[in-house]
Amino acid sequence: MRAVAFLILLSSLPLATHAQSGVGVDVDDVTDNRMSEGPMTGSLELRVKLKGTGLDKATAARIVVKDARDDRGNALKASTFGTDYMPRDYNSGTLQVSVSSPARAATSVSIKGTLELFVPTRDPNAVVKIDKALAKLDAPLSHAKLKSAKLSITPLSPDGYAARMKSRKLDDTKIAQIRAEGKKQGVPEKEIELAIELAKAFEGMDSPPSEGELVLAGTKADFDRIFRIDVLGADGKPIDTSGRSVSTRGDDVLMTLQPSTPPPASAALQVYLLTAKSQMSFPFELKVNLP
Amino acid sequence: MKRLFLTLTLTFAYVSAFAVDVTVNRVNDRRTGGSFSLLDISMELPKIKSVDVAASRVLVTAATDETGRDLIDHEMSEPSLETNHRLGNETAATPVTVSVRLKNPDRKASKVSEVRGEIELFMPSKDPNSVAEVAKFLSFSGKPVTHKALKANGIEIAVVSPAQIAAEKKRLGDAKRKEYEGYGYEGENLDNAVSSYLEYVLRLEPSDVVLRMKDPNNRIQEIVYVDAAGEIKRGSLRDDEGFKILTTWGEAPQPDWKLRVSMRTPKNLVRHAFALKDVPLP
Repeated sequence: MRAVAFLILLSSLPLATHAQSGVGVDVDDVTDNRMSEGPMTGSLELRVKLKGTGLDKATAARIVVKDARDDRGNALKASTFGTDYMPRDYNSGTLQVSVSSPARAATSVSIKGTLELFVPTRDPNAVVKIDKALAKLDAPLSHAKLKSAKLSITPLSPDGYAARMKSRKLDDTKIAQIRAEGKKQGVPEKEIELAIELAKAFEGMDSPPSEGELVLAGTKADFDRIFRIDVLGADGKPIDTSGRSVSTRGDDVLMTLQPSTPPPASAALQVYLLTAKSQMSFPFELKVNLP
Repeated sequence: MKRLFLTLTLTFAYVSAFAVDVTVNRVNDRRTGGSFSLLDISMELPKIKSVDVAASRVLVTAATDETGRDLIDHEMSEPSLETNHRLGNETAATPVTVSVRLKNPDRKASKVSEVRGEIELFMPSKDPNSVAEVAKFLSFSGKPVTHKALKANGIEIAVVSPAQIAAEKKRLGDAKRKEYEGYGYEGENLDNAVSSYLEYVLRLEPSDVVLRMKDPNNRIQEIVYVDAAGEIKRGSLRDDEGFKILTTWGEAPQPDWKLRVSMRTPKNLVRHAFALKDVPLP
């Protein structure tokens, strides 16, 4: 019996040494970028370093701010930008936290939140390899793991892309919907009009994908559950893809990948899914003295 | 010495006796724990049109916050004229905007009590010799460029031809060879040392243009290209072995492009005194 217990202990040791412990964040840099009233708004930007053991197992990390307030009691709104998972090799592994400007009279800020790690090795369903993914365009990718995750991604042909762009075109009805949604969310009228103008300007910049580019379509809810999609070459290795962009219109998302070399017809796609099991959450609390 | 500097400054730029109207557009107090901290105040001059100003700078003589903190960075060198990037994109009536960079005020301060100094505007329309525009300048390859505005400002510019560059590289290589021989280099080691030196000297991109320039009065403000459609193509100017290399990051100048040289003269540099009081801090 003792021998069995010892064996169990031994077999659990490698797992214990790989687990993350003491994980948290330390402030690396603080910028209080204060702006007078106008179209540009200021913000408090923190650069944080991750600490703890086992971080090398994480593919990506992000900060989710739950509460931020200055020492005058003012609640600070967390920015929605920069809240996506960041690969661990970006910016020397540091992460950015952005909240609205504290009061000038404030001397410190307290931030509570969670550091979240994406560790795909924790869940065999987090990495999905779809062989010959480009063989059938304009039809959703087929894979048991995608089906079980209820996730649908469609690689588009040039014709499929053109049809999709036509359906996304801003018309009076869509502009009215944007206005109504903006009003519902309490966005000032000037900002709504600016957003509409920007959307029109971006629409004018849309161009059909060039040769070798890959366009994937899906819903925002589905793409929000994807960390990254790699295109695998004939050797099964990811093709260097420096150009990645995402265009969102309402719930409709188009992701464009620009591999450095055109993918072969037999190319596979590797999708990294943010499953519940592959994500770890570590609460933190920071007190930051303001510069 | 101070008096000489003041005399030179006053003779070079025309100073308006009256303080110019300014309104504060935006205040940016960028506070960091490390570098890139600054207080930037952007000001609009309602009576001066942006289309008339090609560049500007603000020379501050006094700046304090309400705690009495001196906001002038006395270790910083005098600011240089900053190009007006709105030029050509604004309406005729758009007033010019200038900005002043200071040190961060005290966090406890709620306002900047005072900023005083002069705003210097580079206004080419005030002097017919402000701009020299040389049509089809590439045809001057190997020759000096001639233009009356360049002459009026005592400036000499020549477009250096590929053959001249090759000859110059040979001359530099021969001189370096002699120098290395003096250090005891010989044979293959000497050849390798000279060829490594030549690899980095006058290292040019195919789109680079090499100029030989003399500007004894330091009049040149900017050198740009103007394409056939009239669009300005800005590049960067760097020094190499006494030459000026104009780089456009890949876009090679075409035979129908012009070379536009903007020059500061006593007539086109205008200074206005200004004063700000009690500027609220964000």
